[in-house]
Amino acid sequence: MIRLFSVSRHFNGKRRVTALEDVDLEVARGEMVSIVGPSGSGKSTLLNLIGGLDRPSSGTIHIDGRDLTRLGDDDLTRLRRDKIGFIFQFFNLLPSLNCLENVALPLHLRGWDRRKIALRAAELLEMVNLTDRAGHLPEELSGGERQRVAIARALAFNPPVLLADEPTGNLDSHTGASILALMHDLHDRLDATLLIVTHDPAVAQSCPRTVALRDARLVRDERR
Amino acid sequence: MILLKLISWPYARKHLLRATLTTVGIVLGVAVFVGIHLANGSVLAAFNRTVDRIAGKAQLQITAGEPGFDEEVLERVQALPEVGVAVPAIEAPVETGLKGQGNLLILGVDMTGDRSLRDYDLEGEGEQEEVVEDPLVFLAQPDSLIVTREFASRNGLRIDSRLSLGTMEGPRQFTVRGIMRSEGLGAAFGGNLAVMDIYAAQKVFGRGRRFDRIDVAAAEGVSIADCRRAIQAALGPGFQIEPPSSRGKQFESLLRVYSMLMNVNSLFALFIGVFLIYNSFAIAVTQRRPEIGILRALGATRGQIRALFLGEGALAGLFGSIAGVLAGIVMARVLAGYTTSVMQGVYGVSESAREIEASPGLIAAALAMGMAASLVGAFLPARNAARVDPVQALQKGKYQVLTAGENRARRIAAALLAAGALTPLLFTRSRPAFYMGYVMMALCALLLTPTLALWLARLFRPLLRWIRPVEGALAADSLLQAPRRTSATVAAVMLSLALVIGLAGLARAGYAAIQEWLDTTLNPDLYVSASSNLVTRSYHFPDSMTSELRALEGVEEIQRVRSSRILFRGGVVMLVSLEMESIARRTPRRRPVAGDLAAMHRLAAQGKAVIISESLAQLQNLRMGDILEVAAPRGLLRLPVAGILRDYSDQQGSIFLDRSVYLRWWNDSSADIFRIYLKPGVRAEDLKARILERFAGQRRLFVLLNHEVREYILRLTDQWFGMSYIQLAVAVLVAVLGIVNTLTVSIADRRRELGILRAVGGLAAQIRGTIWMEALAIGLISLALGLGLGAVNLLYDIEMARRDFAGMTLDYRYPFGMALALVPILLGAAWVSALAPAETAVRGSLTEALEYE
Repeated sequence: MIRLFSVSRHFNGKRRVTALEDVDLEVARGEMVSIVGPSGSGKSTLLNLIGGLDRPSSGTIHIDGRDLTRLGDDDLTRLRRDKIGFIFQFFNLLPSLNCLENVALPLHLRGWDRRKIALRAAELLEMVNLTDRAGHLPEELSGGERQRVAIARALAFNPPVLLADEPTGNLDSHTGASILALMHDLHDRLDATLLIVTHDPAVAQSCPRTVALRDARLVRDERR
Repeated sequence: MILLKLISWPYARKHLLRATLTTVGIVLGVAVFVGIHLANGSVLAAFNRTVDRIAGKAQLQITAGEPGFDEEVLERVQALPEVGVAVPAIEAPVETGLKGQGNLLILGVDMTGDRSLRDYDLEGEGEQEEVVEDPLVFLAQPDSLIVTREFASRNGLRIDSRLSLGTMEGPRQFTVRGIMRSEGLGAAFGGNLAVMDIYAAQKVFGRGRRFDRIDVAAAEGVSIADCRRAIQAALGPGFQIEPPSSRGKQFESLLRVYSMLMNVNSLFALFIGVFLIYNSFAIAVTQRRPEIGILRALGATRGQIRALFLGEGALAGLFGSIAGVLAGIVMARVLAGYTTSVMQGVYGVSESAREIEASPGLIAAALAMGMAASLVGAFLPARNAARVDPVQALQKGKYQVLTAGENRARRIAAALLAAGALTPLLFTRSRPAFYMGYVMMALCALLLTPTLALWLARLFRPLLRWIRPVEGALAADSLLQAPRRTSATVAAVMLSLALVIGLAGLARAGYAAIQEWLDTTLNPDLYVSASSNLVTRSYHFPDSMTSELRALEGVEEIQRVRSSRILFRGGVVMLVSLEMESIARRTPRRRPVAGDLAAMHRLAAQGKAVIISESLAQLQNLRMGDILEVAAPRGLLRLPVAGILRDYSDQQGSIFLDRSVYLRWWNDSSADIFRIYLKPGVRAEDLKARILERFAGQRRLFVLLNHEVREYILRLTDQWFGMSYIQLAVAVLVAVLGIVNTLTVSIADRRRELGILRAVGGLAAQIRGTIWMEALAIGLISLALGLGLGAVNLLYDIEMARRDFAGMTLDYRYPFGMALALVPILLGAAWVSALAPAETAVRGSLTEALEYE
């Protein structure tokens, strides 16, 4: 499903910074992988590259058979929209839109029929148990609820790949645990490939496979 | 200073585009101010230089307005013991017909006596020296002409070269018999000057036995004041005896209305500059709150923070003003040409400024003005920055939201200002109160702008959302969440549009009024004019031509018109002599402003009264029955006002009197224009051909059909109201600058939001779409408010036109055509403004946007 071959990412400022160096990685469809490592080790860079938010300095990345490095901006966006769902640490909901509108956002961007959008958005909110909060703005929700809205949005098109960057990092431990449980549940139900960047050992332990990064290199790939 | 270097400089460098846009407002205001003043000043200076050079050593000039006076006046002046030298002069421009040379100013002088006052500084060329050294040789040949070295070089002329000039008897060949060096007199009128014998000039211009003026030097030991008193006593009150420099003041008074309108434009541009500065600084303060918080936490005082922002304002003002002065000098070169053409077209006076001279005083004033405007714009944001609470500043929060209390306070202040604005319009004629009311109206609109913009954004949201559910809703939300960010731009564009609507409304009403005047008054079938345009009065027809014209087949009636500028109450007005009885009969549909149409013409025809134009009545505060005192060569003419009519032949105002009165008091039987009515069944084109054939080679004349005159007047009106198009350009520029500025900030503020949109599948076109829609929404809101405020502004403009500018009473006519045209223009400008910011939004780093805090 996901295949990285010799991927590096450098930032050229006053001095050259290496964020990722010569990484090879293969993730099969339906796998659940945690990515761990100290701050600055390249975890988020790796996730951004897999998600098509950033482009590698060298190497190739294939998602579902398509080489990301050869895609133009709009094709990359389409691939992101159709094949990848993002879950961020800071939720990244649009503050002026209510829950239903936030969830419906990718559907509108794809140009779906309004009636179909309404049905699908309601279905997604129900999936994360937030039907009663549909009309609320993000600022009226708790952290856990916001993350659940973000998860619902990420599932808009049932994407085969879900990428989560510190999904519990901004939540208390109790809420974090419930979000993790929800992600496990959705992974089981939807059979999506799930990659989770985390600092939290409990989250990492809950995944069948863990990839560790240090100083921009992949240093460990462990399956349980 | 150190804070400026450590804090402000890195910020400005990081936001270079915004810093540049901020100063553009000041650049624009200062450039327009400098451009207008330099252009007008240069045209005026060129005129004064010409007057000075032509005056030579003359200390006084005797005139009686444009009609001039009889030759015998010269003898009376020369006989006075207080007078040392008195020489006659005729001065008028002629068309050279030479490509790119424009007019040539002819100075007709009496060479036998004139060289004691003027130094001709002639270049010798062998035997020819004798010709110019001996005035009798010059005089013996009436086709003699002396030209300047500059004019000769430009046109390849030498001694004995032939030059064709238009005379009253048609084009005639003249011979260059002298060339002046390009200094002193030779540099007058930009070198386009020629000297000829005064008696030849009388013939050329159809002056009869009259002079335009007498140049005088006092006798030795006699003061100028004594000399002047003696001449005035000898000639009576009908003559003006003034130093040559006073002619500059008369020219200046002609420039007055034009300058006032242009000054309004420059002040307005500066006003917009203040807004742009305010807008940018208000945004900078909002964005830099954490930075201000850190500075305050580290011990910076409120005064230091205030000084920091004011210092930035002063620097922006200084750089903007310097750039504005430079741009103004460039602009002045273009405007000087425009001013010259307006003066030529509207007043028949021309003076081309070849050199643009920037006086240190003007530059200092422009710099001070730009700096002051910048500081005014930065004052409120600087004060707000100083009031920042360090604890709150270091927390996240919504600083842009307008509080309910703030809104209420604004609304109360606006209501008070509205009441203050209406009172002078309805209840008082006081000029200061009226203008105070005007300012209050503008302030009221400014105070209400944020609230109204917010309401309109709420109103437009469903519409935008319906058009594009995501892009539209986000665009509207961006406006709703940050009203401060948008309202300064909306206010600037609104004011700009209001001014356009005001000017366009004035133009529309002016057109309608002029159209009615054309329909009811300018109804002859043909006009025979001595000049190619109807406002130049260099040439005059002799009265004998009337019978020659009348003898032509197809002519039913002829009206002789003689117009000339005279001094009246210290200003310049137009004196128009007409055949009143005939005019009354031929123009029965005129609607008088005051008095009975038949009665006023009857009294005027009997020589018992005059009729005045509405503009003169307004500008000089004259009423029915007031006695006018008009200085004429025969003495002081005193006649009551029997009627007031709308007449747009001259902006300074006109006095109409019967031809018999003019003949008696000015002893001038010439005419400038013949108004000709045809017999039934005669084609105007046929009679025109007959007139041209009859006078071919004998008379210089131009025959204009009625529709040609109408088109000519409407073209002049167009040129005059061309300023509303300049204003339109300024409005568009303001819209572009303001919207670009707002969007640049909006994109910076919405960086994360746009990043999310892209992350969840927003295509580049969709991201562009939301930015474009935001720009269009700003354009729509500005349009709605600007077109509304324009309706109120037009009320004031009409009142201003009546009270101060042209003395015209105009009907209120909202310029719907212009309003409709503004919709695509402004929305187009808004869209263009959004192009570059939208690209920035599309091309920004996605990962940085999502991590952005």
